[in-house]
Amino acid sequence: MQKSTSNKARVGFFVIIGTLVFVAALYFIGNRQHIFSKNIQVYAVFRNVNGLQMGNNVRYSGINVGTVGKIEMVDEATIVVQMMVEEKTGSFIKKDAIATIGSDGLVGSMVVNILPGKENLSAITSGDTIPTYSKIGADDMLSTLNVTNENAALLTADLLKITNKILQGEGALGALITDSSLTKDIRATLVNLKQTTEGTNRLVGSLNRKFSKIDMENSAAGVLLKDSIVGDKIKQMVANLEQSSVVISETTQQLGSIISEIDTTENTFNYLMKNENLPKTIDSTMLEIKEASKKLNENMEALKHNFLFRGYFRKQERLERKNKERD
Amino acid sequence: MDATNSITVRTKRFFEEIGDMTYFAFRFFREVFTTPFEWKELIRQCYQMGNRSFLLVGVTGFILGLVFTLQSRPTLMEFGAESWMPSMVSISIVREIGPVIIALICAGRIGSGIGAELGSMKVTEQIDAMEVSGTNPFKYLVVTRILATTLMLPLLIIMGDAVALFGSAIVENLKGEVSYMLYFNKVFDALKFSDVVPATVKSFFFGFAIGLVGCYKGYNCSKGTVGVGEASNAAVVYSSMLLFVIDFIAVFLTDIFF
Amino acid sequence: MMQPKDSNIVLEIKNLKKSFGDNHVLNGFNLKLYEGENLVIMGKSGSGKSVMIKCLVGLMKADDGAIKIKDFDIISLGRKELDVLRTEIGFLFQGSALYDSMTVRENLEFPLRRNREKVGTNQTTEELVIEALENVGLKHAIDLMPAELSGGMQRRVALARALILKPKIMLYDEPTTGLDPITSKEIIQLMRTIQQTYKTSSLIITHDVDCARVISNRMILLVDGINYAEGTFKELSISEDPKVKAFFKS
Repeated sequence: MQKSTSNKARVGFFVIIGTLVFVAALYFIGNRQHIFSKNIQVYAVFRNVNGLQMGNNVRYSGINVGTVGKIEMVDEATIVVQMMVEEKTGSFIKKDAIATIGSDGLVGSMVVNILPGKENLSAITSGDTIPTYSKIGADDMLSTLNVTNENAALLTADLLKITNKILQGEGALGALITDSSLTKDIRATLVNLKQTTEGTNRLVGSLNRKFSKIDMENSAAGVLLKDSIVGDKIKQMVANLEQSSVVISETTQQLGSIISEIDTTENTFNYLMKNENLPKTIDSTMLEIKEASKKLNENMEALKHNFLFRGYFRKQERLERKNKERD
Repeated sequence: MDATNSITVRTKRFFEEIGDMTYFAFRFFREVFTTPFEWKELIRQCYQMGNRSFLLVGVTGFILGLVFTLQSRPTLMEFGAESWMPSMVSISIVREIGPVIIALICAGRIGSGIGAELGSMKVTEQIDAMEVSGTNPFKYLVVTRILATTLMLPLLIIMGDAVALFGSAIVENLKGEVSYMLYFNKVFDALKFSDVVPATVKSFFFGFAIGLVGCYKGYNCSKGTVGVGEASNAAVVYSSMLLFVIDFIAVFLTDIFF
Repeated sequence: MMQPKDSNIVLEIKNLKKSFGDNHVLNGFNLKLYEGENLVIMGKSGSGKSVMIKCLVGLMKADDGAIKIKDFDIISLGRKELDVLRTEIGFLFQGSALYDSMTVRENLEFPLRRNREKVGTNQTTEELVIEALENVGLKHAIDLMPAELSGGMQRRVALARALILKPKIMLYDEPTTGLDPITSKEIIQLMRTIQQTYKTSSLIITHDVDCARVISNRMILLVDGINYAEGTFKELSISEDPKVKAFFKS
């Protein structure tokens, strides 16, 4: 009899411990999902939620303040996302706070980031809808950059051919003297090159802006960039791109001045006779362009191999191959 | 000819056994809801299966967490994703590894114990003796044991999971210099109800399967002492197999509903 | 010993049949147990003695025939009525069948759990247990485990357990198997004492001739699934029938 009573107590103890562990686990998990705290509902309207799911976290200034309650498609371009935000922190979110969808780390799930508003408006209340902001995907930007780069490569190849011809000696030089269309060609090419370089510059600038924004927004790429190694690499690559395009731009300017000099001299031949150094100058300039372009290519290549953008480039390649096959 | 014959005979026996076990399970459900109820024996069995298995489950769980973390560290470090360790370990232990490993261990300890005990009771006519002394042996022996495993296994699994996570936290704390606070913070961040609830529901079925197979094999034991060995052996083998089948179905259903 | 009258029948088996596949163990076995007598059933091993006695208490289901105990037909009874009727029957199993996870005390308490009211309330459970153990001379073993007892002691504890509900009918399945001759004699002596103190009617299954000689009032020889011969030990031991003779040739 005695024995079974103590057994009873031991089983009771065991059951209570087990149940406590279970309940504690449920409580802690539930707490993280803001089930037990008082919530207010805030809405945001998106065109694309990028795989956001019910139960994903909602962050305000980087703190988890709630979860995604419901995702509802109202019409083909409007998706309403309901967020359950803790009442406590809700009072810090102003009415002009901006909701964006980002991803939590490299392989993490999606999160809704609420960026603090700028003006001193009143705090949100339950049922409010806050404005949203959709970022231009890194993909779109890179595709433009890629096209630009390809153009630059083509142009540089053209220029190289031309300089080669010049370097080939008398005959070619003669042609240069007699044929003014060649000069025109060069000029046209240079104009193109200039445009390309400007395009590159613009893109690089926008990339830079993008990365600084990413930092602020603490999204997937943001996390990646914060990660010192990856971030440094990408930053360096962008810097390289910038440098390359600066070099291209500089040399283009040099070429431009040479050509305008040729233009101002009435007789091209005279000018050439007077100026023995010209072919050499053109030659070295071309080499510089070649090198810069090569660097640009290398940088692009490096960017391609960076895992962040790898998927995109592969897609691009596949598309190209398909196009070729179709042709 | 002989071979095909033996195959058909075996197939037939297999289906017979499945049918028999299903009937056995039905009988359990019929008898579990009728009076009288053997509380004292249930508590005794709960003590035997729950408290007495805890040390084994605890040690196994602890080592499981420890080893699992040590083994995954290099791979995660290669990706620079050590900070994902708590989430990865907790999800895989709570969802799958914890329940299955602990259930397998319990199938070995509890299942074989039930099979051998009931088997020897059967061959020494103790079950018959109960029957003639006016006690329903099915109620007294089978219902209590199946209930005890069904109730105790989830508890053992929950505690085993907790111990395993603790073991993992120790490794992270020592090797990765992650504080326990941060570790468990991340664990509870990663875990969702949809991880814990299906795993717990699943573990009730695991417990039921272990109890059912053990009791079935023991209760239908024959052929003397050889039969007892066979019963306890078969109890472990069949319940382990059944565990994986249940696990598969559970994962399948979880996949659909969560 | 009362005269065998039909009004004194406590147990009757009529035309009992039981087969396992093609093996027909019982082929229409008949038996009448009169009040207060010791009826010994002898048969070779595998002749269906154990099967018969298990059919008697409903542990096995007979294929055909009738088993009547106190006007109840065992075969048609439901679980609850059967359990009530079983309290009237004490069963001593071949291998004692003590619950080896329980102490001697718990073993004896076990039948009382559900049928406490059957033996009245003027004695406590404890008293009943001690009384039963005193009857078999094992009071000192009350807190031991069955594994700590010798074979003979186990058998005596089993006997005490079978008697604790004060049954009217005692069924003994090979009460002396596995025991040395001296212990066997002790058990047989105990069975006689019990029969006298509790006025039970006993059905004893055995293949032990010595046991049969000492205890039997009447004997039935079970051969080929039927009651082949009936009579007192003396009558049967001088029979000229070769099948009967085979039993007594030791």
